[in-house]
Amino acid sequence: MSALLHVEGLTKRFGGLTAVKNVSFALEPGEITGILGPNGAGKTTLFNLLTGFMRPDRGTIGFDGVPLIGVAPHRIVNRGLARTFQLTRPFIGMTVVENVVVGCLAPRVRAEGHTEARARDMLDRVGLGAKANVMVDALSYGDLRRLEIARELVTRPKLLLLDEPFAGLGTSEIEPLAALIRELHKSEGLTILIIEHRLREFMQLVRRVIAMDFGEIIATGSPAEIVRHPRVIEAYIGRGGDDLEARLGVAPENARGIA
Amino acid sequence: MLAWGSLTKTDVIGAIVVIALLSVVPFVGSRYIVGIMTVALCYAIWASSWDFMSGLTGRENFGHSLFIGTGAYTAGFLNVSFGLSPWWGFPAAAIIAVLFSLIIGIPTLRLRGPYFALAMLSGAVVMQKLSIIFSETTGGQDGLNGLSPMLRSQVSAYYFTLVALVVTVIVLKFIALSPWGTILRAIRGDEATCQAAGINVNFYKISALMISAAFAGFGGALYANYQLQVGPDLFDVALSINIIIMVYVGGMGSIYGAVGGALLLIGLTEGLRSFSEYRLWVYTLILILILFFIPNGVIAPAWVRVREWIIGRSAAFTRRASA
Ligand SMILES: Nc1ncnc2c1ncn2[C@@H]1O[C@H](COP(=O)(O)OP(=O)(O)O)[C@@H](O)[C@H]1O
Ligand SMILES: [Mg+2]
Repeated sequence: MSALLHVEGLTKRFGGLTAVKNVSFALEPGEITGILGPNGAGKTTLFNLLTGFMRPDRGTIGFDGVPLIGVAPHRIVNRGLARTFQLTRPFIGMTVVENVVVGCLAPRVRAEGHTEARARDMLDRVGLGAKANVMVDALSYGDLRRLEIARELVTRPKLLLLDEPFAGLGTSEIEPLAALIRELHKSEGLTILIIEHRLREFMQLVRRVIAMDFGEIIATGSPAEIVRHPRVIEAYIGRGGDDLEARLGVAPENARGIA
Repeated sequence: MLAWGSLTKTDVIGAIVVIALLSVVPFVGSRYIVGIMTVALCYAIWASSWDFMSGLTGRENFGHSLFIGTGAYTAGFLNVSFGLSPWWGFPAAAIIAVLFSLIIGIPTLRLRGPYFALAMLSGAVVMQKLSIIFSETTGGQDGLNGLSPMLRSQVSAYYFTLVALVVTVIVLKFIALSPWGTILRAIRGDEATCQAAGINVNFYKISALMISAAFAGFGGALYANYQLQVGPDLFDVALSINIIIMVYVGGMGSIYGAVGGALLLIGLTEGLRSFSEYRLWVYTLILILILFFIPNGVIAPAWVRVREWIIGRSAAFTRRASA
């Protein structure tokens, strides 16, 4: 089994609602994969299960060959599985560089020392070097996303989970952030799993998309395949009758991914 | 040491000036003033130890008197009931207070919500009740009396308390400026984000409470050994609230602000004696005005301003000198 992440039969219920239902998939090392699904599909819950913030009712998670169920969130990070949050909540009242230093203090990397220098290097890499000494309260939404990625990257993850990194960003901020993610993927050989509720952001970014609806995986394939998949179209059109292009962010006839 | 957290030369000079001013109190003040100031220094130890846990991590503790009272009674028992030298009271008080911090902190600090704050509050209330109920060992309402004095003169007790405060502030400030302090402030920012950065949040919260309890218990023993008496009022909710107000007035999370807040409010209480029966009213009014109009506190923000002014002046002076 060469997969970096191996998920089998993962299920999570909230009372009568099954937020994640019998989800199984695997990620190969170095892969960059997207998780697509409308709001409420269970994407964030899936991340919470993978990162130990919630305990699944059923199913197994294998990461780097060891099971993760019941392992505390900070221990999972220290095994090399890091995540960002859909709602980024930085350490208010601290500077940008202090926010990243906290990641450098994780047991996994703390022995490397030079915490402040490492934090500043990472801020340079994500394009926040000039704002290192600013209070984090003053950052724009797009900068907060970069900061969060920097704070996770200093823990030297093998797998990085990004929860809707483009949500709430203007079009002028989306492309540079996508370029950063592509760059990190290429230069670090980092395995990345990204959540998005629109397909458009995936077209130039990922080779494989896992589509979810009502907690279940409904389709897997390249972005170009996914956009034509009948169950994906149904999932997106079935809600409110809006046109598919507005909801997916891309028209099926224009879909041309990198695959 | 981390550059942004390290002290400036101006901070060190400011601290030395304050210590020097406190050191001359016995030379210029009456016996009465020295007594009040000794108690004020004890309050400063309690307030700065509260600030270390609650000011840094944001988890408010509504029952700091639990640690103070257990520390004071530990010192009292060892001295009065077991006849040990008063000096044994200090380490024993710190250890017993830490035990209590573990009993309350381990089950409640991992939970969100008000459980920790309420458990501290009820812990203090329960201990106060127990100290009254088991009057045969605790002396009930009268408490334990007749501790043997650890130092002969009142002035030496004052200086001993001052040294204890200085050591407390140096230790707590040193930890607050270290990577430990960075993590505690990050916990205040957001616990889930902290976990996502690979930090064992519960470990740091519990350790911070243990350190806070150790100094509060030590401060309780100090107070007992100075008053030569301990009583159930040391577990009072009012004492805990008073300490919280001192830290708010001083400015949260800075450690030295808590010291300033304690000295300021004890000074204010004494200064208002001329108002006789209106004293409590005036005191409360001043507090409300401060908390309402200066929510970040008085002492720590004021010092930050003064420091900027001094640094600005000395920079201007250097420029002029070199021109
Ligand atoms: N902690 C929770 N308690 C109860 N229900 C929840 C909780 N978290 C998520 N849900 C529900 O689970 C479903 C999936 O939510 P979520 O995973 O956030 O979806 P997505 O991220 O795909 O938008 C939603 O119906 C949501 O209301
Ligand atoms: Mg979500």
